[in-house]
Amino acid sequence: MNVENINPFIESVADVFANMLDCEVETGDPEVNTEEHGTPDIIGVIGLSGTAQGIVALRLPIKTALRMVGRMVGTEFRTVDSSIIDGVGELVNIIAGGAKAKFEGHTISLSLPSVVRGSIYRLNNLGNTVWLTVPFTSPLGGFSLSVCLKPVVMAEKEAAHASSSRR
Amino acid sequence: MQVLVVDDSQIMRKIIMGALKKLGVNDIMEASNGQEAIDIVSNDNTVGLVLMDWNMPVMTGIEAVRKIRAGSIKTPVVMVTTEAEKEKVMEAIKSGANDYLIKPFNHKDIQGKLEKFLQCAEK
Repeated sequence: MNVENINPFIESVADVFANMLDCEVETGDPEVNTEEHGTPDIIGVIGLSGTAQGIVALRLPIKTALRMVGRMVGTEFRTVDSSIIDGVGELVNIIAGGAKAKFEGHTISLSLPSVVRGSIYRLNNLGNTVWLTVPFTSPLGGFSLSVCLKPVVMAEKEAAHASSSRR
Repeated sequence: MQVLVVDDSQIMRKIIMGALKKLGVNDIMEASNGQEAIDIVSNDNTVGLVLMDWNMPVMTGIEAVRKIRAGSIKTPVVMVTTEAEKEKVMEAIKSGANDYLIKPFNHKDIQGKLEKFLQCAEK
């Protein structure tokens, strides 16, 4: 995954915080991993398909999820219920949707989001790519966004170029 | 005026309904997919505005807009969606949507769109 491809996602997180959560977010240093391990989190996952394929995972500690969804609807949540699950799914949907619009020259579609709860999980990367994980801090708590992205058209063009170069 | 909020996310429906109530709109109906939206607007001609998400299970918002217009129903539809690309906006307008609001939006954005259609309905 090209490291620059993470920038639209970082910008999209900032847009969500500015517009829907009414606070600012600070971005940490991205890390590269081949797989993502769990901690006691709620994870919003959404798939990307089209000229770029991938997965976006919004990983929230429970307290952060309660505060973020609570801020969105103006309600205080104390426990994880269907509203929190729904809200985390909507957050990852909006973040991925905002990011995909920033990829010029690509046509990308989003899957419907899924939300995973639990402390024992492993998110594997797609073939020939890695996870880029960006930590964030905010007044609503810390969280991270992991992105695994494979530009299909670009990969095919590179393969064709390599093939013609060998001739 | 009665407003129909169509979104598969219960949280997003709550956010939009909160903005509507702040504008004094209390006559609100909800639907969680395009098919439910069609069923409501086909059988209830008191709906004055539809706020329609794009990506939903069962039937997407854009399919619902096409079917609503194919049924000669002229109720204004505003797409409220993460689909921000120009091509998507054009597709929605060509399909019969009257306006477009991109998520994430703040309260001012959504209130601005709502005020526009509420004023039109009052005229």
